[in-house]
Amino acid sequence: MKNKKVTEFLIFALFVFPAVIFVIFSTDIPFLMNLYYSFFDWNGVGKSMTFVGFDNFIKIFTADTLFWKGVKFTLKFAVFYVVIVNIIALAIALVLSKEKKSASVGRAFYYIPYIISLTAISLIWKFIIGPGFESLYNITGWEIFNWSWLGTGKLAFVVVVVMTVWQNVGFYMVNYIAGIIAVPKELMEAAQIDGANKVQTITRITIPMIMPSISICLLTSLTFAFKLFDVIMVFTKGGPANSTVSVAYNIYKEAFVNSNYGLATAKSLVFVVFVLIITAIQMKVTKSKEVES
Amino acid sequence: MKIKGKKISVFSVIVFFASIFWLLPLLLIFINSFKPYNDMMQHFLSLPQTINFDKYIETWTKFDFPKLIGNTLLYTGVSVFGIVILAPMAAYKLARTKSKLSGFCFMVIIMPMMVPFQSYMITLTRLVSNFKLTGTKTGYIAVTVGLLMPLAVYMIHGFIKNVPLELEESAEIDGAGKIKTYFMIVLPLLKPILTTVVVLDALATWNDIITNQLIVGGNASAMNLQNALYMQFSAQTSDWEHALPGIVMSMIPSLIFFIVMQKHIVGGITAGSVKG
Repeated sequence: MKNKKVTEFLIFALFVFPAVIFVIFSTDIPFLMNLYYSFFDWNGVGKSMTFVGFDNFIKIFTADTLFWKGVKFTLKFAVFYVVIVNIIALAIALVLSKEKKSASVGRAFYYIPYIISLTAISLIWKFIIGPGFESLYNITGWEIFNWSWLGTGKLAFVVVVVMTVWQNVGFYMVNYIAGIIAVPKELMEAAQIDGANKVQTITRITIPMIMPSISICLLTSLTFAFKLFDVIMVFTKGGPANSTVSVAYNIYKEAFVNSNYGLATAKSLVFVVFVLIITAIQMKVTKSKEVES
Repeated sequence: MKIKGKKISVFSVIVFFASIFWLLPLLLIFINSFKPYNDMMQHFLSLPQTINFDKYIETWTKFDFPKLIGNTLLYTGVSVFGIVILAPMAAYKLARTKSKLSGFCFMVIIMPMMVPFQSYMITLTRLVSNFKLTGTKTGYIAVTVGLLMPLAVYMIHGFIKNVPLELEESAEIDGAGKIKTYFMIVLPLLKPILTTVVVLDALATWNDIITNQLIVGGNASAMNLQNALYMQFSAQTSDWEHALPGIVMSMIPSLIFFIVMQKHIVGGITAGSVKG
């Protein structure tokens, strides 16, 4: 009996532990280290680490204006991104959810930016905004092409929103289409027989029926917006004059540019709490919608 | 009827043009990649006068594309292979074992899905350097496998819960051992979800730049294609004659992959996003 238990455990270990080891190494241990370092003043390189208790956290909430500037930018980005990307994605999905060859080609077109690397995306937009706009200005003479798109904070914000919407719309579109296809055809037909026009069918039948997809998309886009990092790191580097520094990028900079490891790890804990709250709401909403549908 | 039919076709035309417009940035990059710099500046929107691949060939040799593509293929291949071997094993055993240890291991694997990567990437680079793996291929692959594992295990775990137990039980009654049952009976059943995992992870690894920057940094011998292109061209933006062919060449594999695997990619995205 005991032997059997030992073999069972060995088999379990053989199957599960390799995966666990990889995950522990690259995520769980770093996360715990993060907890530990957040109570120290440390530059990340030297041997000297001083225990400072909650000083780092106090600093974040009282003295760190750049961090709060990042929070403001991130919230503003979240509002614009979530609204724009979802409206466009839903509109495209309503049109392209048909089982036609042309519709599936159209879907592929919207989806392609999503599978392209960030390097390519950021260089593509740098090229268009740089030489591209310069050339268009020479041809058309329109002032809009002569604006300093990456040189002024407000315009850089617009560029970041446009670029992220352009890249990610396909992802949300696919989710909406999956929802729309699942709506029973009989409902649409019944509505049309009752004399509902196209717009009415959409607003009265389709939209209410795809509420689960809508809530999933809203919340995934919200989490994406809160975590905004890659695009900033690769594309604007937070510039001009820190106007596009997101919370996550502020943390990164604090560690790797300013060498304040302790402070940076404390910030990332504050950041985790923010994101966890959103995730908790997200899971709750998604679960309750699942029950309904 | 006729009017209605006409209406739809007009609408389709609009949508079609809108989708072309959506791809316009990519098309512009493509047509400009064949032009000399002066032409880009003066005739940004027009087609190139001649199609010649001189700049492509120059970029290919000057920036050592064979080595970069070799590295990236190695990373993608090894990481995806690691995931496909380890993730289903773990997911299967975790789904079929009801014990405290099993629940705990599942928690450990799933936890990273709830915590944003940015919150532990600083200490991750520390840990990697403590192991003297900074700038190495081994370090990068180990981290990539670890980062991709949670979602893979989660997705396969969800799939296995819907696979009936009877097949495994009858295999065991027939005298097949646990390990044999897994490889002969369970693994073939997981093919659909494994395809999805392979597709998602292959794209993620091929396109990765952030992890490669954090772990490999500026070590030229272990850089992947995306990181090298980024390092090369993001600082000195004037060298568009080489940057554009470079971008186009780096995108071609993803595009081919997308066209071939389109169904699985789209399906996989919906499956993965349910988790949020």
